[in-house]
Amino acid sequence: MTFAIQVDHLQKHYGEHLAVRGISFKVEQGSLFAFLGANGAGKSTTIEILCTLLQKSSGTVTINGYTLDDKSHNAKIRKSIGVVFQQSLLDERLTVRENILHRGKTYGLSKAQLTKNYQFVSTYLHLDDIELQKYGTLSGGQKRRADIARALIHRPQILFLDEPTTGLDPQTRQFVWQAIKQLQAETNMTVFLTTHYMEEAAVAHQVIVLKQGRIVAEGTPDALKTKYAYDQMALVFHDRSLGLKWLKENTLPYTEKLGIFYVRVSSTLTALTLLKSAEPLLASFEVMKGTMDDVFIHIMAQGDGTNGSND
Amino acid sequence: MIVLYAIFLQKMQVDAIEQVTEATPELITMVNEWLVAGLLSMMAVTTTLGAFAIAVRDMESKATADFLTAPISRATIQISYVLNAFIIGCLFSLVALIGCEIFIVSTGGELLSFSALIKVIGILLLSVFLASVFNMFLVLFVSTQNAFSTLSTIVGTVLGFLCGVYVPVGVLPGFAQQLIMYFPISHTTLLLRNAFMESSIANVFGGVPAEHMESYKLNYGIIYELNGHTVSLTTSYIIILITIVLLALLSIIIFKKKNH
Repeated sequence: MTFAIQVDHLQKHYGEHLAVRGISFKVEQGSLFAFLGANGAGKSTTIEILCTLLQKSSGTVTINGYTLDDKSHNAKIRKSIGVVFQQSLLDERLTVRENILHRGKTYGLSKAQLTKNYQFVSTYLHLDDIELQKYGTLSGGQKRRADIARALIHRPQILFLDEPTTGLDPQTRQFVWQAIKQLQAETNMTVFLTTHYMEEAAVAHQVIVLKQGRIVAEGTPDALKTKYAYDQMALVFHDRSLGLKWLKENTLPYTEKLGIFYVRVSSTLTALTLLKSAEPLLASFEVMKGTMDDVFIHIMAQGDGTNGSND
Repeated sequence: MIVLYAIFLQKMQVDAIEQVTEATPELITMVNEWLVAGLLSMMAVTTTLGAFAIAVRDMESKATADFLTAPISRATIQISYVLNAFIIGCLFSLVALIGCEIFIVSTGGELLSFSALIKVIGILLLSVFLASVFNMFLVLFVSTQNAFSTLSTIVGTVLGFLCGVYVPVGVLPGFAQQLIMYFPISHTTLLLRNAFMESSIANVFGGVPAEHMESYKLNYGIIYELNGHTVSLTTSYIIILITIVLLALLSIIIFKKKNH
């Protein structure tokens, strides 16, 4: 197994305040890695360290085989990564094409290579309709497409996405993700993502949840959902009293809201068995799978009594 | 701005010189040349500082981060901002020089000779370069556009005094005179005055005792005297060049420290 990123006991402190508290993790090459956490958890600090923007206090970080903070390696790391920041950072007065080609020049690419790369990213991100427009006149979604194209112009091995779809409408978010996933599948690019949208994290190969500078949960989305989320049935009975009697007979804990009974179940198969036995009593039902939202809320609700951290 | 200078500073100087020599058109020209030399040295600083607004905006909007993740050195990023300021400073200074020459000719003076013009342009370019590096250093301590506006106001105000433009050096107390003489940018003002006024000083003070001319030069910052020694023009050039190197090195070190 090849790892694109290896982080070992990474620490970052600002004065006496520890923002990142000795975290360790590995990101498999070609995978989609989601890095989650509430505001102030240390996500942005970690990303800034990995992107060579911030100096770590201690620990070791290896990116694409290069050791971070080794003087001769940092430039190589920068050449091998692309970063999409939370904010749109291109020049408002230049066109999309000018912006991307201009930034591409900072990677020392030849004109021919730059043009070839531009065609490549333009195809994936459908830049044809906006490439001659001034960046400042674009909508939020169009700007994001240009930002991602800029991050990809030198064909990096790792793409860092720091909350890339915040503020975008669902359709644009879907478009952005389709483009990223297609690119990832075809180029074996590693994607390192931070997001507040849990459905985006649900498609990741691996998820890490950070809280107050520490890793508090990690694994595949399925493993995390199994551990921290639960499936649930929403039941509406023809006769409320018969329904209550059935719940009591089966010793099922429940909550009731507006005549709907919510019952936690250990799995959807258990739900199926229970539904079969309750079938004559039911007016309607719904079985709801546990989500990454449940995972996140569950983990965040667990107190650990440590100090807060910068993000 | 030239008009403001002419209104407030010209008469004061003419009145003072009239006490030792006759007020002639050459005298007016000499005073005007003193004014424009000071104005041009100040403009080199204010225009380049204005150009650094881009650097502050980039820092505040975090646009700098995009460059910092590219495989270009921190020094290259710094030098790019300086180069931008230098080009803008040069353009504005050259336009201002043309404006100043028009002002001098329209008030009865003569155009600079070719050799004097080349000398003035050379000193102007050096002044703009020093100002670019000086402002880059200042801007490193500013991270918001609001703070930058405050800095610009302070620099614009203090500069006029520190270059001996608003008030002649000679009327200031001793410590203030020393402060001005140790302020590197004031040496660009001194060099420009020498280049502009070389022939007009000779014309005005041609028939009067040499000590009057020396006294005028000292009082109006055309020569500096530090600890009883006259500072030569070569020394002024050396001070400027050393300042450029020192500030550039310091700026790169600070920028690297701030941006990993």
